[in-house]
Amino acid sequence: MDTASEGQGVVDVFHKIHHSGPDREAHMKVLSKALRDPSAQLTFIKLENSMHLLVGLLTGSDARCRLQAARCLHELSRSPHRDVAPACLPATSYLLTYLSGQSTRFTELCLYTLGNLCPDSEVVQQKLLAQGIIPALASCMEIQRHNPAVVEAVGFTLSQLLQTNDAAVKVIPTVLASSLPAQLLSVLAPDPNFALAPAIESAWCLHYLTSSSRDNKELLSRGALLRCSSLLVSLGGAEGNKEEGLELLVCPLLRCVGNLLCCCPVEELNTAVADPQLVICLCALLQTYLQTQPALARESAWVLNNLTAHSNTFCSALLTFNLVSGMIHLLPFSQGINTLILRVLANIAHKKKDFCVQLAQLGLLSALCATLKMADQEMVTLSLDVLFMLVVSAPQVAEEFVQQGGVSLLEAIQYNSKGEMRGRATYLLEHHLLSQ
Amino acid sequence: MTSIICDNDNQNKERLSLHVLCLNSESSTVTIVRYCLDRMQQPQVRQLLGNARYDQCPIENPQQLRPSESGDRNPFSFTPQLIHLHKDHEMFEDGDIHRHMYLQDLYTSDKDDKPALSVAEFACHISGCSAVFSSLEEYEHHYNSLHRHVCSSCRRSLPSARLLDIHIQEWHDSLFTILAQNQDMYQCLVEGCGQKFRTSKDRKAHLIGIHKYPPDFRFDKSRKDKGGRETKKQLHKDAAMEVVPDVCKSEGVCEVLCEVLTDQPEKEESMEMHVSEEDVAHMGQCASAGEPADVSAAAHGCTGMEPQKPRYSYRVPTTVCFGHGSVRGFRGRRGRRK
Repeated sequence: MDTASEGQGVVDVFHKIHHSGPDREAHMKVLSKALRDPSAQLTFIKLENSMHLLVGLLTGSDARCRLQAARCLHELSRSPHRDVAPACLPATSYLLTYLSGQSTRFTELCLYTLGNLCPDSEVVQQKLLAQGIIPALASCMEIQRHNPAVVEAVGFTLSQLLQTNDAAVKVIPTVLASSLPAQLLSVLAPDPNFALAPAIESAWCLHYLTSSSRDNKELLSRGALLRCSSLLVSLGGAEGNKEEGLELLVCPLLRCVGNLLCCCPVEELNTAVADPQLVICLCALLQTYLQTQPALARESAWVLNNLTAHSNTFCSALLTFNLVSGMIHLLPFSQGINTLILRVLANIAHKKKDFCVQLAQLGLLSALCATLKMADQEMVTLSLDVLFMLVVSAPQVAEEFVQQGGVSLLEAIQYNSKGEMRGRATYLLEHHLLSQ
Repeated sequence: MTSIICDNDNQNKERLSLHVLCLNSESSTVTIVRYCLDRMQQPQVRQLLGNARYDQCPIENPQQLRPSESGDRNPFSFTPQLIHLHKDHEMFEDGDIHRHMYLQDLYTSDKDDKPALSVAEFACHISGCSAVFSSLEEYEHHYNSLHRHVCSSCRRSLPSARLLDIHIQEWHDSLFTILAQNQDMYQCLVEGCGQKFRTSKDRKAHLIGIHKYPPDFRFDKSRKDKGGRETKKQLHKDAAMEVVPDVCKSEGVCEVLCEVLTDQPEKEESMEMHVSEEDVAHMGQCASAGEPADVSAAAHGCTGMEPQKPRYSYRVPTTVCFGHGSVRGFRGRRGRRK
């Protein structure tokens, strides 16, 4: 089918709908299919009174035509053409009104239509916000909370809204003041009603909320960190659980936990993240995704960093659960993972001399001998920092490093182009390694 | 800045010299430090630093200590850092792409292309409504669109419980009328707005000006239009034809005219019997249930016994569940990538 005939097809169907009686629903079905084609979409919106007709059918007394009208609008909302979304504006107040209704399929369509209209047009976004899309979404989620498909659709639409420019100013404060955060968190509850698809959407919404601002006190006070970390443990813990699509939920959960940790005071960490097995889960994710989805492995390492930065408990847990050797073995890998893993090990070393000794016993020194030779400057600098902490922790550590031939490595670094590295290498040699 | 706390059994001189090490010192102080260090045995220094604990400092500027090539100031600056990543951070790029692909791929249109069953499986149980459906979903939508949130006084169907409440209050509540004379009673229709107005005109202006509603929003008709509706009711037989052009330029209030909903006019004859039987049963139910708010309407319906006139003598309680909790599986998603 070529564009011209499809365009003509749309015009013909439009006229039939305009003038017909009982066959109207059938014609509308034809129209909704025709509107899958981008050029037909453009043709349609340029027809005089086309949107007016569609809105009339959307609000008319024929329930079937309402549904078909919603389908047509949904197809239009998926258009790649920038002119189409603004053309759908006359319908938005009605789409929002219908969100408080009880029809499930119809409500879903309205939601996806609204969600699709959000991204590209600021005019549309402003109008939707003025027309009260956020309270409408909150109300819809409340009314339809037992219907996973509708909850998923609400989550999708909200996630679109949260990604708009200026969302931090125009959208997020209103969302945080509504019942939406509590509802999103309840979707993540591991109760019998748990369903994957709505959980995915809710988690992505929470990610956009937590990553748009450093101040997440509101979400923390609602137990977001506890909920997300618990769910992560349930998902990540199952070793053989490779259910397709699970990483679509793991990813935003990781991000939520990572960012929420930034504003959780250390003293509250143990209650906010109740399960120290989170570290097991994170290390498992690290290993699982290292080859298949390195980005996800990297995010796991990032979360581990935030978890161990100021907490003796979680640093200790990594040692207790025998997770450190596995991490040391990952140090040769690149793609940004090794610097994060080394940061985690540095966090552990930074806490206690005793931890340093344990780390040395687990083979960190020989791993450092390898990382000190790397080209990545950040890696070398960090390695030197870690080495310093280990070396000053106990005399035997310094001795062991010398025995492993570390001195010549440091002497080589003294010729490095970067002063930061030369200074560190020199300091170590002069004060701790050559003065025996 | 990393501060090093020494153990209590250190002598003051040694502690002093170590503190000096941490500060950005001037040349004179450096000399003193060096002197102290030279005097001390190396193993003692190592032991002192070995007994030191690193404070957990708040992260301000861990790079304050400038590394020095002479090596006499501690050049090591590692401190644990909390890293907050903004949603647009490059580290999130791969995961975001994966997410967008998920949203793209799951669009399926097949769900709605199922051929309609030729045999009608469900009939709407509302008396006077002869609509038939081939799926539960269709029935649910029909019911929710047209029989739910129905005003018992004027039989208008509103899209939501909230709009129905507002309608009843503004159209059929005499107390409201009285109160409205002296205070702002007309609520803004946008949920969450909370504002109230003295007249429906003021409210309409607010809806248009603040909430960018269309001027002809169909769920905000003022009372004086009601007169027009009443006369139309007499013509319900003709409504099948009237509705069609009406939809295009209708004033938009959702009139519930169930007899026009059948799209198989030839069946109307046979359905009539069915409807009237249902009518009887329904009226019987109403009388016994004794819905207080609608006794007059029910009584009228019982004595009337006219299948052509739909009678809604009850407002459906919100506890009625259609499809809630039913196993639906995952629908084909209709998302679109950002």
